[in-house]
Amino acid sequence: MNKLEMRIISKIIRELSLFHLLHGHADFTLRTKINEEETAFITTSERLKDEALKTVKEKIERERELEVETYGWELIGDIDDKSELEIVGHLIDELKIENTDTQTTLTFIRKNQYKKKTKA
Amino acid sequence: MNFFRRFLKQKMITPIIFILLFSMSFLTGSFSSLVTGYVDILKSPSVLISDYLYIGGFGATMFNVSTIMLINIIMLNRLKMKMTGPMFAGLFTIAGFSFFGKNIFNTIPIYIGIYLYANYQRLDFKSFMIVVLFSTGISPIVSFLIFGTGWPLYIGIPVGFIVGVITGFVLPALSAHTTRFHKGYNLYNIGFAMGIMSMVYSAILRAFDFDFFLGGPTSEVYHNELFLLTVAMSLIFIISAFVEDKEVLKKYPKLLNSSGRLVSDFIRDYGRAPTMLNVGLLGLISLLFLMILGIEINGPVMGGILTVMGFGAFGKHVKNVIPVMTGAVLATLVSPVYSLDAVGMSIAVLFVTALAPIAGRFGFFVGVLAGFIHIIITPLAYEFQGGFDLYNNGFAAGFVAAMLVPFLEAITKNGKEEEAG
Repeated sequence: MNKLEMRIISKIIRELSLFHLLHGHADFTLRTKINEEETAFITTSERLKDEALKTVKEKIERERELEVETYGWELIGDIDDKSELEIVGHLIDELKIENTDTQTTLTFIRKNQYKKKTKA
Repeated sequence: MNFFRRFLKQKMITPIIFILLFSMSFLTGSFSSLVTGYVDILKSPSVLISDYLYIGGFGATMFNVSTIMLINIIMLNRLKMKMTGPMFAGLFTIAGFSFFGKNIFNTIPIYIGIYLYANYQRLDFKSFMIVVLFSTGISPIVSFLIFGTGWPLYIGIPVGFIVGVITGFVLPALSAHTTRFHKGYNLYNIGFAMGIMSMVYSAILRAFDFDFFLGGPTSEVYHNELFLLTVAMSLIFIISAFVEDKEVLKKYPKLLNSSGRLVSDFIRDYGRAPTMLNVGLLGLISLLFLMILGIEINGPVMGGILTVMGFGAFGKHVKNVIPVMTGAVLATLVSPVYSLDAVGMSIAVLFVTALAPIAGRFGFFVGVLAGFIHIIITPLAYEFQGGFDLYNNGFAAGFVAAMLVPFLEAITKNGKEEEAG
C-alpha cells in the first residue's frame, strides 16, 4: 500500500469517528480490515435514527470519483455537522447497513484502485 | 438524433456553448484582423489585468476562448471523463479567463508539469483533472518570462517553458494541502495555492529588479455583444433544464440548501436539470448585479460571469452568492478608497462568490461580512502575489475564509448539533 492510500485511510477513520461522536454515540467501535483488494471500515453503534441512516445512504451510495479524491482528500475528517459526509462519499465504493433493534453496523468498502499503478 | 441529444445532455450542453462562442469569433472584423489580434494575444505578457478584448479585439478573443475550451473538451473526451460539477466549472473557468490571461501558448507547459507529476506518483493523469482544469490560472508566469522580461526568445522560451512545467509539477500536492487552510470554504482553492507560488515568483523577480505590474487598459466596446451572449447562454441552460426535467423546480430547493463547501458536485448530488437551472440563474443574477451597479462588461468582467456560471455546478447557488456579493458592493460604497470604477473592484464583485460556502453554511449576514472583508483584502493580495496568479480573488478569499471559519465553527457548533439531533 502506498503512503497516500495510508493517509486517506487514516483520514476516513477520523471522519467516521467524528460522525459517530457528532451523533452523540458514547459507545461505538470502529474496525478496519485491510487487504490488497480493499479496505473495509466497520462501525458498530447504538441504532442510528432512520433519518440519519437515510442521509448516510444518500451521501455514500454514489459513484466514487478519483479526481475528487486526489483534490479533496485532505478535507476528510473535518466535518462540522452530522450530515456532512459528501467528501468521504467520493472515496467509498460500497456501503452495507445492518440494523437490529438496538444497534447499527455500517460497513464502508473502499477498493484499492492504486494497487496496479503504485509501488508496494 | 437520440445519440446527439444524449451526448449534449451528458456533456451539460457544453458543445453548444462552444459553437456559440466560436461562431462569435467571426461576427466582427475581417479574418486577417482576427489572425493579427490572435498573434497579439499569444505574444502578450498576460499578467493581471490584460484584457484580450483590448489587446486582440473581439474576434481574436472569442477565437482564443473557444479554441481553448475546445481543446479541453477534447481532452476530457479522450480521457473518457464524465462531465461532473468540477469538470464543468473547470471548463467555464478556463473559458472565462481566456478573456484575460490564458492562451494556448502559456497553458501547455503547466499541463505537462501535472502530467509528469501524475507519472511520478504512478497515478492516472485523469485523476488530477480538477487541478489540470484550474491550473492555468498561473499561466502568465510563462508568458511573462518569454515576452515580458526583454530576454531574447532563445532564452525566454526555454526558461518560461521550464518554469511552467515546474509549476504544474508542484501544484497538485500544494492545492490538495491548501484546502486545509480554509477548510474548503474558498471555492477557488487552486487560486489560493497558485497565489502562494506567484508570491514566490514575484519575490524572485523583484529581487532582480524586474517590473511585472504590466496590466493594461480594458475594453468596454463590446459590452452589448457580451451582454447578449450571457443572456443567450443563461437562457439555453434554463430552457435545457426544463426540457430535461419538467419537475426541475421541485428539485431545485434541495440544491439551494447545500452549503456549497468544497468538494460539492451539484451534478452528482442533485442531477443535471437542477444544476443547469442553477447555472442559468447565476448568469442572469451576475448580469443583474452589473446592471444595478452600472458596470460595463469587458474581458475580466466576462471572465467573472463565466466563472460564476461554471461554479453553478461546483458550490455556488442563488442563495449563497447573493450575501457575499452584497457585502462586496457595500464595501465599495462605504470605502472612500475603493470604488467600482476600478476594474479590480468591479470584477471582485463577481469573484467574491468564491466565499459563497460561508454564506451557505453560516447564513446571510456572515456572508455579507465575508464579502465585505474580501473586497478590502483583494487589492493587498494583488500587491502580495504580483499578478502571475489570475485567480487573485481566490488568493484573497483563502485568507478571508481562514480567518472567519475556525471562529464561526467554534461558536455555531453546539447550535447546529442540537438542530440536527
